Amino acid sequence: MRRLPPQPGERIDRSAPLTFTFDGAPVPAFAGDTIASALLASGRSVLSRSFKYHRPRGELCGCGQCANSLVQIGDRPSVRACGTPVQDGMAVEHQNAWPSLERDVLALPGRVGGPFMQVGFYYKTFIKPRRMWPVYERVLRRAAGLGKLPRRQDEREWRTEYRRRHCDVLVIGGGIAGLSAALAAARAGADVVLADDDVEPGGFELATANRERVRELAAQCRDAGVEILAGGSALGYFDGLVPVWQGDTLHQVRARRHVAATGSIEQPLVFPDNDLPGVMLAAGARRLAALYAVAPGESAVVATVGDAGLESALALHEAGVRVAAVADLRADAAQRPVAARLAEHGVRVLAETTVVRALGRRGVEGAVLARVGADGVARAGSAEEIACDLLALSGGAVPASSLLLQAGARARYDAVSGRFLPGELPEGVHAAGAVAGCDDAEQAALSGAVAGAEAALALGFDGQARDLAEQRARLEAWPLAPVAEPPACARDERSGGKAFVDLDEDVTVKDVEQAVAEGYDSIELSKRYTTVTMGPSQGRFSQLPAVRVVAAKTGLSLDAVGLTTARPPWSTVPMGALAGRPFEAAKRSAIHARHRAAGATIRWAGDWRRAYDYGQPEREALAVQETAGLIDVSTLGKLLVRGPQAGELLDRLYPNVMSSIAPGRIRYGVLLSDAGRITDDGTVCRLDDESFYVTTTSSGAAAVEQWFTWWLADWALDAHVTDLTQGVAAVNLAGPQAREILARVADLDVSNEAFRYLDAKHARIAGIDCLLLRIGFVGEVGYEIHCASAHGQALWDALMDAGAPLGLTPFGLEPQRVLRLQKQHILVGQDTDSESTPWNAALPWIVKLDKPQQFIGRWALEHLRERTGEEGGVALVGFRVPSGQVPTEGAVVLDGPGGRPAGQVTSARRSPKLGESIGMATVPSALAGEDARIHISDAGATFEAVVTTKPFYDPEGLVLRS
Amino acid sequence: MSDALAFLSTGDAPALSPLATGTAAAGAQFETREGWEVPVRFAEPAAERHACEQAVAWADASHLRKWEIQGPAAALDALYPLPRLGDGLAARDGDGAWWCRATPTRALVLGASAAPAAPAGVHVLDVTAQLGALRIAGPLARELFARFCALDLRPHVAPPQAFRPGSVARTPGSVICEAPDRYLMLFGAAYGAYVWEVVHDAGTHLGGRPVGVDAIEALAAAAQEGEPTHA
Repeated sequence: MRRLPPQPGERIDRSAPLTFTFDGAPVPAFAGDTIASALLASGRSVLSRSFKYHRPRGELCGCGQCANSLVQIGDRPSVRACGTPVQDGMAVEHQNAWPSLERDVLALPGRVGGPFMQVGFYYKTFIKPRRMWPVYERVLRRAAGLGKLPRRQDEREWRTEYRRRHCDVLVIGGGIAGLSAALAAARAGADVVLADDDVEPGGFELATANRERVRELAAQCRDAGVEILAGGSALGYFDGLVPVWQGDTLHQVRARRHVAATGSIEQPLVFPDNDLPGVMLAAGARRLAALYAVAPGESAVVATVGDAGLESALALHEAGVRVAAVADLRADAAQRPVAARLAEHGVRVLAETTVVRALGRRGVEGAVLARVGADGVARAGSAEEIACDLLALSGGAVPASSLLLQAGARARYDAVSGRFLPGELPEGVHAAGAVAGCDDAEQAALSGAVAGAEAALALGFDGQARDLAEQRARLEAWPLAPVAEPPACARDERSGGKAFVDLDEDVTVKDVEQAVAEGYDSIELSKRYTTVTMGPSQGRFSQLPAVRVVAAKTGLSLDAVGLTTARPPWSTVPMGALAGRPFEAAKRSAIHARHRAAGATIRWAGDWRRAYDYGQPEREALAVQETAGLIDVSTLGKLLVRGPQAGELLDRLYPNVMSSIAPGRIRYGVLLSDAGRITDDGTVCRLDDESFYVTTTSSGAAAVEQWFTWWLADWALDAHVTDLTQGVAAVNLAGPQAREILARVADLDVSNEAFRYLDAKHARIAGIDCLLLRIGFVGEVGYEIHCASAHGQALWDALMDAGAPLGLTPFGLEPQRVLRLQKQHILVGQDTDSESTPWNAALPWIVKLDKPQQFIGRWALEHLRERTGEEGGVALVGFRVPSGQVPTEGAVVLDGPGGRPAGQVTSARRSPKLGESIGMATVPSALAGEDARIHISDAGATFEAVVTTKPFYDPEGLVLRS
Repeated sequence: MSDALAFLSTGDAPALSPLATGTAAAGAQFETREGWEVPVRFAEPAAERHACEQAVAWADASHLRKWEIQGPAAALDALYPLPRLGDGLAARDGDGAWWCRATPTRALVLGASAAPAAPAGVHVLDVTAQLGALRIAGPLARELFARFCALDLRPHVAPPQAFRPGSVARTPGSVICEAPDRYLMLFGAAYGAYVWEVVHDAGTHLGGRPVGVDAIEALAAAAQEGEPTHA
């Protein structure tokens, strides 16, 4: 291979030479080259090794879409050399070969291990003996995969961006059709984005005489305000959202209308050794010559089924590549105008002929052309060997319709053009250009202009709407260029040589035929069994060959075989692109900085980051019971319910009576589902006649707010609900010294007589207006202090300052759980499940069936009582473990020694205050009596526990009320 | 507002913004204004002005007083200058406060120093501490939003006075377009540290910087705004 003389419209800048390295060797290039074009120009024909057999592979598509040119650039594996611009000093390496690209030891199994590497070999070859699987697995894992990721995590990380973009019209594809569509829509007044995966819009026409026309179109688009995302690959269609991966940015484009102008993909032909370096798509060879002035070979043979191959042959000839012969499968090939022009240049065009074998060992050295029967076998005496080093193939085209199909279009096979064309399009989606069957440049441009104008018109932009009907009629009358249908596999009389259907995955004709023979006889099953079309190019170059083989083997028509389901991503994308920036939406309390400064262990609790402990959870728990402790409970859900009927609303939502709470008093409540099951709990404090302050569990705040709002809307009561959770900070000051500490900072009489258990008071602490609730979740004298979150940190500081001389200690979530367990206070979601009612969760007193109001869950509770009794056969109880073992939460409670599972441990801890193992468990009602013996099975051991139905600590609540 | 709800409002003690950790770490200098520790400066005034005019700047405006109004839809419909639901607009009163209709029965008033007067049956609540606020301004302001927010803020879709409740940085929030290339963003206070992290990360990557509250105010003054507008 070599550089050609300057080509009109070439993309390289010959005045800007640069150098990069490939496997350490310097390679000259020009600015504008791709890595592959520079490598080819330097005479290198092998760019990679194949996935399975490690066969040498050269350039195939010339446009950054095939898997033949995957290379490693620094830390980035699997970069497509034919779509990546070269940069000065870039260090490029081969991948998937050892020790070198030229001599790859890993190719040996492919040469000698045919029977061991048949299709589905991983289901067959390495199954027996089973004990050897770990060995096989290790070897296979080392051999599999492409490229290498850096070992260190920080070296794997690189910045990717998300960018959301709304627009009126998104045009996908920047060829002549896409540019025409974008221009028409923009000139009509629409806000247009165009995404094209090439570094320069223009598509295939950049490699033709239309190059200046498409460049001018692109300039007009920019002038008209079109945002062009060059080098941006559309990854999929998600109900109107199209992600476009461009460089290091994932654009999430939401458009009101979409125009798919994604073009078509030339297909290879299938014959023995059709993967030798030097076998290329004809359009790829043409692109290399036109854009990068690279001669893809010294002497070419072109094999085609239609005009596209003839045109590529002519272009190669005009660029300076000798074309030894053209094999056109059509009977009337000689009558095509392009064939006549080729003949004028002395190029032989062989009608009804195709390629039946590539010759050569490490690259193409020749081709065998022949006339073939319907079965693809060369007719006797028709074969002709022609020396060449480039075998350019044009085996028909597949519309790049994946995005259209994802949007809901259906493909139908058109026998004249030999393509699966998209049928009726879904609402809001338009198609233009080759994807819609408009191959001819003029036809494609017109179809684009029509699609763009139609998309704009549908949005109310009518500036380009003239003559649309007439233009649409012209398009529909445009004749389709006929192609010949090639055999699934053409071959001569010789044996040997692998005929590949899918170069990405090294899937051969024999593989697909075997899959069909084994019963995987639909294209979808065959795909899953053989992995055909599942490689990095997403079936771009294997779709039609695979369908042809399945059709030939099953006897079905191509239309009946159909295409595989189109799924995103349509183009390969790094996982990092989908992950976005590494920030998690975490809620933090206003006091969070203080917890961090105090060395707290921070953990997730619902969607909050909370202090789990401050390093010594047992000591923190003891401090609460011996002096005083302070915990941040800002995460509690907090709702304000106001209005003349606020009490009525709460009475309907809770099973007990809330409207009778006196202002300044507090009542505990649980919320029930329609089925009478516990969904949340908390306190209700009456602030004044029409205002109630409701607290919920930390994780239940949002759900409770929705629950309240939903029922409020249904009942149309005169009340309002406001979620105050994030605007109110709260701390719980508890312990024997809590009252004294509070007395030092609050302008309030905090004596037991003036501030009783379950009282709510307003006070100022360090100048901060606070609401104080005297409640005792942890079992000690305690005050829950609420204030505006902007003062949360100041409140914490004031209390810690005042309490430090008295031994005040901050405590976290874990010590709080120990303390509440000592009181047998339930944690909703921990000690309850979807079957827990107040009756079987040790809260029977809270259900007031005698209250006049209906309440949520009442009907279910009444029926439950009638059918099964209140507890329904199970009860939540406390237990002690005499042996001192602390069971795992979730451990099984047995119905007797060695018996069957009958319940489970919901909570268990060692109590530092009591010096024993305690817990709560659901048990059969028969075992729920005081001092009953239960058996717990945990981690293979069974041990005895003793039931108690009273709190372990301060069972009469005297401490709490003191 | 009832005295029973005084604990929801900020008082004499210094009030900290939910973004305080982030602004302090970014080098903010603070002043106490109306009881709030307000970040007034991060860099030289020229650098802050440059960010506002040439790239993108963001300022913590969490101290802005915010009021929630709840009441029957008909009562809110009659509340001047509250826009009707569905207009997608906010209205500015004579004192420069924004009136925004969130739902038929709920509205927000932003920037009014005193509680808005409300007729019988309509409740007003101080939610200043409930919501964090950022002002984001500059020619790249919309680009910055695009990095963390899927709201459509194109000028012809969200012109000045547009009010857009929705998701910001994957959390519930809302955005008001105060002027061309100038926005006020609201979000839950507990998400303050996270939102600052997200905005700061994306903004600095775009060449922007955090600025003191006065920098963006100055931008508004330079644009000779402040004329009351009513939807």
